Amino acid sequence: MSEPRRASPVIAEMTGACALPRQSGELVFDADWERRAFAIAVSLAEAGHFSWPEFQQQLIESLCEAEQRTPQNPSRDYYESWLVSLEALLRRKRLTVD
Amino acid sequence: MSEHDDSHHGAAASRARRSDRSDEHNRDLTERVARIESLLIQKGLVDKAALDKLVDIYEHDLGPMNGAKVIARAWVDPAYKRRLLENATAAIAELGFGGLQGEHMVVVENTPRVHNVVVCTLCSCYPWPVLGLPPTWYKDAAYRSRVVIDPRSILAEFGTTLEEDVEVRVWDSSAEIRYLVLPQRPENTEHLSEEQLAKLIDRESMIGVRKVRRS
Repeated sequence: MSEPRRASPVIAEMTGACALPRQSGELVFDADWERRAFAIAVSLAEAGHFSWPEFQQQLIESLCEAEQRTPQNPSRDYYESWLVSLEALLRRKRLTVD
Repeated sequence: MSEHDDSHHGAAASRARRSDRSDEHNRDLTERVARIESLLIQKGLVDKAALDKLVDIYEHDLGPMNGAKVIARAWVDPAYKRRLLENATAAIAELGFGGLQGEHMVVVENTPRVHNVVVCTLCSCYPWPVLGLPPTWYKDAAYRSRVVIDPRSILAEFGTTLEEDVEVRVWDSSAEIRYLVLPQRPENTEHLSEEQLAKLIDRESMIGVRKVRRS
């Protein structure tokens, strides 16, 4: 065994609306940008640029916002809301401004 | 306890299905993410290789495929199976899977006479490194209590019926010991390779609520 490879339960086991889309335990990504957006948020949180609960809170807000039209037919899907959250948090933390 | 697959859980089901975005919309989203990524790389806040590694970890270590590889090896290699039943933690580490934090793995073997099923009655102790994320039903209070009191009724809900004379053993995982079921190899699979066998093995069979079927 080399270095420990382990997913964070705090991220992997989110429940409710922000639970990661999964199938038989495995994450489901529909497009490569979803993978990238996922990894960017996890990486920034691991590095301490924001805490995971901060991101999660933002994600919940984005998902709720998206569901305001109708919960069955939200205006954007899970990873689109993920991206909106990431952009909002980056702005708030001024991580993408010079 | 009517649904046993996470993908059937309401909102999760609609989120898990393939999206119906247009190509144009996808391109736009791809650009938005690429813009963020390159900006963060420029600022030294993220690292491309680290992002790739994170994707790899989350995409491949959350599912049960490591456990499936362990079981398939045990089916084709009797010496490995012996080691697995004697010292599962070490035998699993042989295949490069680990990351347990002091817990011991114990593998229990299904036979024509004995059927094993695993639960964690206290919380949701689960062998992460081999099975990935626990399914939602594993954490349900209903599963945790009923499988102890009446395991056959739970098994029946998963479509698993056992002969009357088969003994059912329920194993309670804890912070110290994590159980993994070694399911019976289905009949008429002699021609399959280890890799093909691994594909037949799902997490339900390694928790013990289902048998492995020849797909």
